Amino acid sequence: MNMDLRADLLALLPELTLTAGALVVLLAGVGGGGRRHGGLAVTALASVGLTAIALKIAVDVSEAGRLFFSGMFVLDPFAVFFKVLFLLTAALAPLLSRDYLERHDYRPGEYHSLVLFATVGMMVMASGTNLASIYVGLELMALSTYVLAGYFRREVKSHEAASKYFVLGALSSGVLVYGLSLLFGELGSLDLAAMAAALGGAERTPTLLTGMALLACGFLFKVAAVPFHMWTPDVYEGAPTPITAFLSVGPKAAAFAIFLRVFLGGLEGLTPYWVWLVGGSAALTMIWGNLAALTQDNVKRMLAYSSIAHAGYALLGLLAGSELGVQSVLFYMLVYLVSNLGAFGFVILLESRGYAGETVADYAGLARRQPLAAFGMLVFLLSLGGIPPTAGFMGKLYVFAAAVNAGFVWLVVVAVVMSAVSLYYYLRIAMQMYLREGQEGEGAEVLAAPWTARAIGVCGVFVGIIGVYPAPFAAAARTTAALIGVTLP
Amino acid sequence: MAEYIPILVFTAVAFSFPIITILISKAIRAGRFDPVKAEPYECGIVPASEAFDTRFSIRYYLIAVLFVVFDVETVFLYPWAVMFKKLELFGFIEMLVFLGILVAAYIYAWRRGALKWV
Amino acid sequence: MLHDTLLSTLILTPGAVGLVVLLLLPRQADSAARWLGLLASLATLALAALAWSRFDPANPGFQLVEQRPWLPQVGISYSLGMDGIALVLVLLTALLQPLVFISSWISISQHVKGFIASMLLLETGVLGAFLATDLFLFYVFWELMLIPMYFIIGVWGGERRIYAAVKFVLFTLAGSLLMLVGILYLAYLHHAQFGVWSFAYGDMLRLNIPMGAGFWGSPQLLLFAAFALAFAIKVPVWPLHTWLPDAHVEAPTGGSIILAGILLKLGTFGLMRYNRPLFPEAWEAATPLFMVLAVVAIIYGALVAWAQKDIKKLVAYSSVSHMGFIILGLFAGTVASTQGALIQMINHGLSTGALFMLVGVIYDRRHTRLIEDFGGLAKVMPLYTFAFLLATLSSIGLPGLNGFVGEFLILTGAFAEHPLAVALAATGIVLGAIYMLSLVQRVFWNALVHEENRNLTDLTWREALAFAPLALFMVWIGVQPGTFLRLSEAAVRHLIGG
Repeated sequence: MNMDLRADLLALLPELTLTAGALVVLLAGVGGGGRRHGGLAVTALASVGLTAIALKIAVDVSEAGRLFFSGMFVLDPFAVFFKVLFLLTAALAPLLSRDYLERHDYRPGEYHSLVLFATVGMMVMASGTNLASIYVGLELMALSTYVLAGYFRREVKSHEAASKYFVLGALSSGVLVYGLSLLFGELGSLDLAAMAAALGGAERTPTLLTGMALLACGFLFKVAAVPFHMWTPDVYEGAPTPITAFLSVGPKAAAFAIFLRVFLGGLEGLTPYWVWLVGGSAALTMIWGNLAALTQDNVKRMLAYSSIAHAGYALLGLLAGSELGVQSVLFYMLVYLVSNLGAFGFVILLESRGYAGETVADYAGLARRQPLAAFGMLVFLLSLGGIPPTAGFMGKLYVFAAAVNAGFVWLVVVAVVMSAVSLYYYLRIAMQMYLREGQEGEGAEVLAAPWTARAIGVCGVFVGIIGVYPAPFAAAARTTAALIGVTLP
Repeated sequence: MAEYIPILVFTAVAFSFPIITILISKAIRAGRFDPVKAEPYECGIVPASEAFDTRFSIRYYLIAVLFVVFDVETVFLYPWAVMFKKLELFGFIEMLVFLGILVAAYIYAWRRGALKWV
Repeated sequence: MLHDTLLSTLILTPGAVGLVVLLLLPRQADSAARWLGLLASLATLALAALAWSRFDPANPGFQLVEQRPWLPQVGISYSLGMDGIALVLVLLTALLQPLVFISSWISISQHVKGFIASMLLLETGVLGAFLATDLFLFYVFWELMLIPMYFIIGVWGGERRIYAAVKFVLFTLAGSLLMLVGILYLAYLHHAQFGVWSFAYGDMLRLNIPMGAGFWGSPQLLLFAAFALAFAIKVPVWPLHTWLPDAHVEAPTGGSIILAGILLKLGTFGLMRYNRPLFPEAWEAATPLFMVLAVVAIIYGALVAWAQKDIKKLVAYSSVSHMGFIILGLFAGTVASTQGALIQMINHGLSTGALFMLVGVIYDRRHTRLIEDFGGLAKVMPLYTFAFLLATLSSIGLPGLNGFVGEFLILTGAFAEHPLAVALAATGIVLGAIYMLSLVQRVFWNALVHEENRNLTDLTWREALAFAPLALFMVWIGVQPGTFLRLSEAAVRHLIGG
C-alpha cells in the first residue's frame, strides 16, 4: 500500500505541480497584484516549465507499463506525447495572451490560472484508462474553457460565445455520459481494458451499440466534427482571440487523445460498427468545413471553419487505426498546433477593428507595409493549406498515407479535393496581403506586442523544421503509437 | 431484455402519477374562476411588479455558489472520516490535496471580496 | 567533393539565394536584388554546364546520383539523379532563367525583391522536379513551383491578374493533389507487394500494377489517370487548356517566358518519366485518346490563334498547338518520335520564350499588344523585326532552324503507326505558318498608320543580349541537332525499350 501510494503520487506529479502552479497564479492575481501582467505570465510560464521537469521525473521513475490509482491512470508514451503537446500549448498561451490582456485591460490572474487548470484536465484525459477518470479530466478542461470563452465580459460576443459553448458543451457531456452509462450497463466496467475483454464475448445488443454511438457523438462534438460542429464558429469568433487559439488546439488534441484511446483501446472490437459513423462524419467534416470557410469574411470565423476541416483530416488517422494511423494523428496534432497557433498569433497582432471584427480585407497591402509579418502569415497559411515544404504538408502526408494503407482511398480522395478547396481561402488572405495594395489608412497595422511575437517565432521555427526535416518528430510520434492496445498488422 | 421491464414499469408509473393526480383534481374541484385567484401569491400584498422585472442582488448567486462549494466539502469529508482507518495514509494525503485546493479557493473568494456584503 | 552533391548544389543554389534576397536584403535594394538574381541564375547555368560535362551520354540510367534518407519510416528518401531527358530540360531551364532576369531588368520596377526571389524559388522547384528520383520528393518540388508562380502572375501581372492567378492555382492544384493520391497508392502497392514502404522511382518500376477490368476496376488505369490528369493540365492538353491563355496574358513577360518555356514542359516530362514506364498497359490503352486530343489541340490551337487580336494571346494559343505536337510524339511511342518530342520541348521553350520576350519588348514601349495598333514596324525597328522573324520562323519549323528538326522527327516517327494523325497534324503546321506569318505581315510590313509608332526605339543592347543566346541555340539545334539528340538518345531508347 505504501509503495503504491508513492508510485501513484509520483505518476501524478506533473498534474499536481501544474495544479499548484495554477493556484499560485490565481492567488497572486488577486488584490494588489491583479494588474501585474508580466509577472503573472512569467509565473504561468514557470509553472509550465516546472511541470515539464516533473513530467520528466515522473516518466523516469515510473515503472513502464504500470497502471496507477487502481487502474485509472497510466503514464505510457502515448500519454506523455500528448502531455508534452499540451504543455507546449500551455506555454504558448500566456505568451500569446499577455499583450492582448493588457491592451484590453482584463485581469490576468484568473485568466492564466484557468488556462493552466484546463491543461491539467487535458493531461488527466491523456492519461485516463478508465472512462470515469477520463470524464473527470474532460469536465475540468471543459468548465475552465467555458469561463475562458466568456472572459471578456464587457464584450457581447464573448458572452454569446460562452453561453453557447456552455449549453452545447453541457449537452454533449450529457450525451457522452449517457453513452458511457449504457456501455457500463452492458459491459460491466468502465475500465478500458476490462471493457475490451468483455467485448470479446459480448453480444452486439442494441443497447451496446447505442452506447457506443452516443459516446462517439460526444467525442465528435468535442473535436468539432460535422454534424456536431455548430458551436465552433460562434465560439471561436466570440472568444478572446488567444483563447480561440488555445481552444482550437488544446482541447481538440485532448479530445483526439481520448477518442483514440477509447475507440482503438477499449472499443476496438466494435470497429466494424463505428467505422461508418466516424468515416461518414470525417467526410462531412472535410467537405462542410472547407466549403463553409470559403464564404467567411471574418478571419476568426474562417479559421474556425478551417479548424473544423482539420479535425476531419485527423479523423482519417483514427479510422486507419493501425500503428501508422495513430502515429499520423499524433503527428498531425503537433503540426496543426504550431501552424494554427502561429496563424492566430498574427490575428492577435493585427487586431484593430475592435473586438473580433477583423475581416479578410484588413490584410490588404500588408506585404507592403509589414513585409516580415506578411511573410510569416503566409508561411502559416501555407502550412495550414498543406503546401510543401511546410509542416502542414508532412502532417497531411502521414494521415493520407495511413488512410490509403487502411483502404480508405475514397476518403483520401475527398480529403485531397477538399485540400485544394481549402487553399482557395487560405490564399485569399495571401492575396490580400500581397496582391492588393490597400488604400491609405485602410487595413490593419501590426501592433507592438513583443510577447506575442515571441510565441509566433516559436511556432514558425517548428513549422519550418518539421516541414524540412520531419523525421525525428514523426519518430517520436511513432514510438508512442504502439501503446493503446492497437493490434498491429 | 427481461431485466429492463421493471425499469419500464417504474418509468410508466412515474410519468402517470402527476398526470393522474392533475386529472383527478381537475375532475373533483369546483371550477369557479376569479381574477384575484389568478394573481401570484405574495403574502397578501398586491404584487409590486412583473415577475421578470424583479431584480435580485448578484450576491445571492455568489453566496449560493459558495455554499455549494463548501457544502460539497462537508459531504466529501463524512465518508472519508468513516473510512479513515481503511484508507490510511493514502486517504489522508488525498484529503490534504483536496482541502488544499479548497482552501486556496476560499482565500481567493475572500480576497476578491466575495464574502463582503456591501 | 562537388561530384557527390553537384545536383543538390544545382537545385538549391537559386532557392537559397532567393531566400537571402527575400529575407535579408533591405527593402529598397532593388539593384542589388537584380544583380544577385542574375548572378545566382548564371551560377546555376554554370553548374548545369558542369553537370553536362560530367554526363555520360552512353549510359541510359541516372547519373550523378545522390541519395539520403529523409523519412525512412515510410520509405521516403532525398534522392536525385539525372538522365539524358532530364539533362536537356535542366539545360533549357538554366539557360532561360538569366535571360528572364535580363529582359525584365527594367520592366519589373515594383517589388523587385519579391520578383527575384519568386523566380529563383521557382527555378529550384523546376530543377528539383526534373531531377528527383523519389516520387515524393518530385511531388514536393512540383508543389513548390505553385506558390511562386501564383505570386508572379498575381503581383506583377496585368489587369485581371488576380483572376488569372487563382485560376492557375486551382487548375494546377486540383490535378496535382490527385497525383498525390496516386503516389500514395503506389507506395501502398509497394508495401503490399514487397512488404516495405518506398517512394523510390526505381522501386516503382518493379511494381506489378494490375490492369483489372473496366476503368473503375483497374488500378493501373486509375493511377494512369491520376498522374496523367496532373500532367495534362500542366501541358495543357485540350480541353484542359483554359487556364493557359488567362495566365499568359496576365503574367508579366518574365512569367510568360518561364511558364511557356519551362513549366509546360513539366507536364510532358511527367508523362514521359512517370506515365509511360510505370503504367505501360494503361499507356497503350490511352494512346488513341491522347492521339485524338493531340490532333484536336494542334488544329484547335492553331485556329484560335489565327483569330486572336492580341499578339500575346496569339502566342499563347500557338503554345496549345505546339504542345499538341509534343503529345503526339510522345504517344506515337517510337524512338524517333519521342526524341522529336523531347527536342520539340526545347524548341518550344526557345522559340515561344523568345516570342514572349519580344512581345514584352513592344509592350514596354507602347503598352498595347493589339495587332491593329501596329504595322510597318520593319522600317522603324529593323533589328527587332529581324529577331521577331527569326523566332517566328523557328516556331513554324523552317528547315535550318530548330523547329523543323522536332516536327520532322515527330511526324516521321509517328507516320508508320498513325498515318491519319500525322496527316491531320501536318495541316496544323500549315495553319501555324499562316497565322504566324500573317501576324508578321500585319505588325511589321503593312503601312505604318499609327503616328506613335514612328519613333519607337529599336532593341536596346540589353534586350538584344537577352535574345542573342536564344537565337544562337535556334540555329545550333537547326544546323547541328545531333549535339543535343545524342544526349538523350540512350535514355529515350531505354524508355521505349523498357
